[in-house]
Amino acid sequence: MSARAAWTTAAAYLAFFLLPFGWLVLTSLWPDAELARALPSRLTLENYAAALRGGGLARAVANSLAVGTATTAVALALAAPAAFAVARLEFRGRGLLLGGALAISMFPPIATASPLYVGLRAVGLLDTLPGLVVPYTSFSLPLALWLLTSTFRALPGELYRAARVDGCTPFGAFRRVLLPLAAPGLATSALLVFAFAWNELLYAITFISTPARRTVPMALALFGGEFRDPFVVLAAASTLATVPVVLVAVVFQRRVVAGLTAGAVKG
Amino acid sequence: MSAPRGDRGGLFAAPAAAALAVVALAPLAATAWLSLRRRVLVFGVDEWIGLANYRAIVHDARFWNALGNTAYFTAVAVAVELVLALPLALVLHRASRGRGALRAAVLVPWILPTVVAAKLWALLFQPDWGLVARLVPGGGAVLASPRLALHAAILVDVWKTTPFVALLLLAGLQAIPEDLSRAARVDGASAWRAFRSVTLPLLRPAILLAVLFRSLDAFRVFDAVLVLTDGGPGHTTESLSLYAHKTLLRAGSFGLGSALSLVTFLCTLAIGLAWLRAVGARRGREALR
Amino acid sequence: MRLRAPAIVLLALLGAVAACRSGPPAGTTRVVLRYQPLGPDAGPLRQLVAEFERANPGVSVELQAFPNATDLAHQLLVTSLGAGAQDLDAFVLDVVWVAEFARAGWLADLSDVAPPERVRAEFLDGPAEAVIQGGRTRALPWFVDVGLLYYRTDLVAEPPRTYEALEAAARAAMARAPGLAGYVWQGREYEGLSCNFFEAVWGRGGSAYADGRFRLDTPEARAALAWLRGLVDGGISPRSVAVAAEEDARRAFQEGRAAFMRNWPYAWPLLEDPASRVRGRVGVAPLPSASGAPGPGALGGWQLGVAARAPPARRAAATRLVVHLTSPEANLVLARAYGRNPARRASYRDPRLAAANPFVARLFPLLERARPRPVTPYYVMIGDALQGELSAAVSGLRTPAEALRRAQAQADEIAGAAP
Repeated sequence: MSARAAWTTAAAYLAFFLLPFGWLVLTSLWPDAELARALPSRLTLENYAAALRGGGLARAVANSLAVGTATTAVALALAAPAAFAVARLEFRGRGLLLGGALAISMFPPIATASPLYVGLRAVGLLDTLPGLVVPYTSFSLPLALWLLTSTFRALPGELYRAARVDGCTPFGAFRRVLLPLAAPGLATSALLVFAFAWNELLYAITFISTPARRTVPMALALFGGEFRDPFVVLAAASTLATVPVVLVAVVFQRRVVAGLTAGAVKG
Repeated sequence: MSAPRGDRGGLFAAPAAAALAVVALAPLAATAWLSLRRRVLVFGVDEWIGLANYRAIVHDARFWNALGNTAYFTAVAVAVELVLALPLALVLHRASRGRGALRAAVLVPWILPTVVAAKLWALLFQPDWGLVARLVPGGGAVLASPRLALHAAILVDVWKTTPFVALLLLAGLQAIPEDLSRAARVDGASAWRAFRSVTLPLLRPAILLAVLFRSLDAFRVFDAVLVLTDGGPGHTTESLSLYAHKTLLRAGSFGLGSALSLVTFLCTLAIGLAWLRAVGARRGREALR
Repeated sequence: MRLRAPAIVLLALLGAVAACRSGPPAGTTRVVLRYQPLGPDAGPLRQLVAEFERANPGVSVELQAFPNATDLAHQLLVTSLGAGAQDLDAFVLDVVWVAEFARAGWLADLSDVAPPERVRAEFLDGPAEAVIQGGRTRALPWFVDVGLLYYRTDLVAEPPRTYEALEAAARAAMARAPGLAGYVWQGREYEGLSCNFFEAVWGRGGSAYADGRFRLDTPEARAALAWLRGLVDGGISPRSVAVAAEEDARRAFQEGRAAFMRNWPYAWPLLEDPASRVRGRVGVAPLPSASGAPGPGALGGWQLGVAARAPPARRAAATRLVVHLTSPEANLVLARAYGRNPARRASYRDPRLAAANPFVARLFPLLERARPRPVTPYYVMIGDALQGELSAAVSGLRTPAEALRRAQAQADEIAGAAP
């Protein structure tokens, strides 16, 4: 692909993805009474003030960040070794693990909400943030597992053998040799798991009732009156809630690039 | 197989397997069990009826309507996303400067909570004052039209998840050794030929993975159709998940709702099996081995 | 491994956040009230609650807000109450849920503190009928709502009393102002559409529910649905009503783009806001009817109930809380601070109400005539089937007669199948 073609394509995509988001940001500055007009007559920060009133949003962002990062850490910690095993080691039930994980990710969440509610209540994790991490991890595990399995499978087979010959234990070989090379796959999986946990609404709303433990999607769902749908305030809150995550994503990207260049130098 | 004999993977995989089994299997089992009962919470009804819920579903026109809507939605959304994501993945792979910023920017729709994305598009599609209504002739008629409304939901899904597909494809691209495509170029092949004969075949696993996961997700579409049109007009945008949700929580029919969820699951299972056939049984077995 | 340090930090963070659970002082009874936010400022409500706590030392009330989306609130309550949760003591109920929750045994009997005869005497008819189930008081009305006809005083000489008059006035206004919509209402596939439908049926003398059975396939119902559909076909209502909810109609009317609107009282203060394009040019009237008598608006509003399964001490405290929040003084606070219409008759004779919120005071005759949707535990279930058929008719997918025939069949099946 030529540089020109690449830049034009990139610009087209950026326009498609960012313009609606730009509209969201514009809406967040739009006075509520004028929403039904073509353009606002003035821009205002009152929606941001309304969104931040009561401090609920900031706390929700903190909660979502905590839950998202915890879910990502646990999901990757569980998925990476398992994916490695499926890709490179021998054990019975590999098909079962992958197939089972896939089956689990096929299930409509609404049906599992009630049984999970009862289960979490039984172990005392209802209405707690760690209680959210538990189902989030399990339901994002399949995607991470499949993605990492193909990542590990793409790595040259000799690497593992060579490391073992050098005297590494299987886990050592995994940790020191293969894992760093799987960095791009890990970063991608991390982003996808984080985004899943960040956006998840149904379980959050079903299991959390204390206002101080709300996550971002819940906080956003709470804007509005019985009939009122103050989209402008929701737009302001969404913009505020998106910024930290975009920053996290940008930081993550640097790691990926670092991992890649390190790999290239070594390889 | 590249591991020395005797390297057992059981311990590596056990924690993940346990997490999956404990948290996910029990609710699934509970749902399956509930689907064989008639359980209406409000009336305190709870009795065994065997497969009667499933028989009712087979005869239920609303179920077939929801299935049709969902299948159409899935097929169109996934196809469009794949076609849009591939060039994007190539661009992301190729970009050297600003790669991080580009990737982050492209992720914005994915980061936005689904409900907010759906509300944003609902605003854009608002028949009387939405941007789409103003800029596109006839754009205002989309949501109110029984035939067009589902396409608005498809657009929301495409906008929101093309980045996800692009990331999956990107991971696949990054796994392709640089030298292969470079060698093809050196041999005098044009960029397009190199792409078609070298890159694309090597990208096949990633494409198939993306199609698989996206299909499974799209089949369970819920937020977009709820926010845009509440499943209307006249159930024309009602997806299987939305129907199951309404049955479970509005009608309080836990037995029937669970059966609907299980049927949705079986349909997605069918998609998975179709995928295996498309991938080729041998490759599929390899993938699952 | 590089993940270790961040993981430790996260676990610590989670631990800290989880530990932030501060309980009430020992020896107090903690009562949890789940409610929907009444407005952006929770202050007046918190003050009401603080008053209660002062009058009831030893009780501490915890307020937990749920999302305002009615369906989501229903879902959450059904999930918690259905699982036998004891973590909520008092909660809000939409007017159409009381029969259902009472039947499920989730609502405590409040007849000791609020005997049915007294409830009927003190509260408006509509909400009283909704909360008294099987001769026992199962909830207390908190505030009420009613469907109204809003009209543009500069485009319409006087509010129409019959359907023909409405159509004629709408056409006349549309002829004078091109681009104007005649009548905007809620035709989206949701409960708002059911309200519009029931109002149209009642206005034609039909009842939609009699002798414990839904009557959807009657001449009045067919005429009502055909009229609604006819508004769209005849161009009086824009096609967009098929996907419109309250806010869509309100904004269109507020921008001066419609001559008539059917909506709830919440729209009034927004229409009279300085930023509104129709400020000072809006009137409110009862909905039209076939005979010309004022048509009944659908009853809306919320009630407060007490969880039947809560432990006795908490149940007693929650009952006192509910009585306090539905007292005459509380009604006034809700009207003044949140624009909510009191459910008590006497509140409307209170001069303080007229002084604080004259619009609410003027609504009294309309609220008196507000009619509840069918009061039956099957309402939510059948409502779901009904919405689909009504939406199909309004959007042109099916004829009104066919839609109602199907709706009746589904209603019979649902009501017949469950005890």
